[in-house]
Amino acid sequence: MRKYLQIFKISFEEEFTYRLNFILWRIRNVMQIFLTYFIWSTVYSDPAKQIFGYDRTKILTYVFGIMIVRALVLSARAMDVSNDVASGNLSNYLTKPVNYFKYWFTRDISSKVLNLIFATVEFILLFLVLKPPFLFQTNIAVILAFLVSIIFAVIIYFLILFLLSSIPFWIPEIGWGSHFLVTVVIVEALSGSLFPINILPQGLQSIILATPFPYLIYFPVEVYLGNISGWALFGGLMVAASWVGVLWVFLNVVWQKGLKVYQSFGG
Amino acid sequence: MFKKYFKIWWMMSRNSFSAVLGQKLALSMFLVGKIFRFIFFFLFLYFLLKGTGSLAGYSGNQIIFFFLTFSLVDVTTQFLFREVYKFRPMIIKGDFDLVLVKPLNALFRVLMGGADVIDLITIPPLVVLTIVYGVSLHPMMSGVLIYLILLINGFLIATAFHIAILAFAIVTTEVDHAVMIYRDLTNLGRLPVDIYKEPLKGFLTYLIPVGIMMTTPVKAMIGSASVLGIIIAFSAGILSMLLSLKFWNFALTKYTSASS
Repeated sequence: MRKYLQIFKISFEEEFTYRLNFILWRIRNVMQIFLTYFIWSTVYSDPAKQIFGYDRTKILTYVFGIMIVRALVLSARAMDVSNDVASGNLSNYLTKPVNYFKYWFTRDISSKVLNLIFATVEFILLFLVLKPPFLFQTNIAVILAFLVSIIFAVIIYFLILFLLSSIPFWIPEIGWGSHFLVTVVIVEALSGSLFPINILPQGLQSIILATPFPYLIYFPVEVYLGNISGWALFGGLMVAASWVGVLWVFLNVVWQKGLKVYQSFGG
Repeated sequence: MFKKYFKIWWMMSRNSFSAVLGQKLALSMFLVGKIFRFIFFFLFLYFLLKGTGSLAGYSGNQIIFFFLTFSLVDVTTQFLFREVYKFRPMIIKGDFDLVLVKPLNALFRVLMGGADVIDLITIPPLVVLTIVYGVSLHPMMSGVLIYLILLINGFLIATAFHIAILAFAIVTTEVDHAVMIYRDLTNLGRLPVDIYKEPLKGFLTYLIPVGIMMTTPVKAMIGSASVLGIIIAFSAGILSMLLSLKFWNFALTKYTSASS
């Protein structure tokens, strides 16, 4: 446990090595929120308007909720694993007395803590500037369910990143290509980062909800808003838990097969 | 002069295309990703406008035309200026020296040295879609003409931004996030800047002229831009180009050739 604590500390400090890079990354996050915020603010300019099952307070809470949930779920370092695999750097870790999965999960947690701190400051600043109506959830059961959904989201995203990073075992040159397709495009589109999934037609919603992506952002924020409760909440959490199980088993199979073909090129 | 540089650009582009086409799997992933991202935002707008009818006083087709104009400027500049994304290693390793000693304009080489075939593939269908939606708005001939001129003005501003990013990279060695911040800023132009509130709206219209690049051409075509707005747009185009070239020349004096 102590060694992972040290990894956490080192990884946390490492984030400050390229300060300008980090600050610019955070500026990017704020700007991405602007487009989403103002689209919805324009659509719901009339406070009494109710469409897609939301009113102005709920939709703007959704947008602000995205800021925090993104920092918690999508801030990760595990995408660097593909580089380790492709460059042969993985060998350095295989010979050390550390669990490679735990090592990267620890680094992910350190990245999340740092990003969460900054996201909270940005949240407060934007809240003061934009003064949106906001739903402060006070129901303890809902908050607990929200936290459980976040834990599932964090694990699902970690497993997705590791699975993607396993592709270079077989095809080293598409490490970044696969990350672009899945984490930059598909996750952004299907996770609910831009808009709540339920504005789409029912058929499309059902297809998207059957994938792991909406359980990263959309589902936790909807739980926070209290839009999902009772059996629907239980069912949603079960689907998220199932995705954790399926992805975990799949990752173990893929990783073991990958290690067998791994040739440590360049390592 | 123009012929010589076009020949060089064509040669560099062919090399760049060959390099990308050699990795077909990676190319298909990026291509699918870009098409998927476009379709998904298009669908989002379609279903949003189906529910709301209009946005910020614009009809559904007008909003989609704003988005298509944004996409056209965005994709074309990425096609032409992809080399900018690869500038950082050149600065860090000192390889920029090799560009400076060649009898070729260094800015031209680092700005346009690697056209992107993936973006090139997406341009023709995008142009067709833009024409289809543009025609559906029943514009006057003069409106179309001013739209096209302002679109070129938008490309000029986008070029100025990329030159400034290159100069910034020389001064700070930071380019990756700078170029992505530019992308994020221009992304705010996916929809008319009228949806933003002041001071952000003014910021996006005049200081970082995203509105002039993407919103003004469409507004001029549908007849909702003022003459003063159009004059400001052209002034911003010329001014941004002059300033970015000045910044580039200043940055060159700060280049240290580190690591070479």
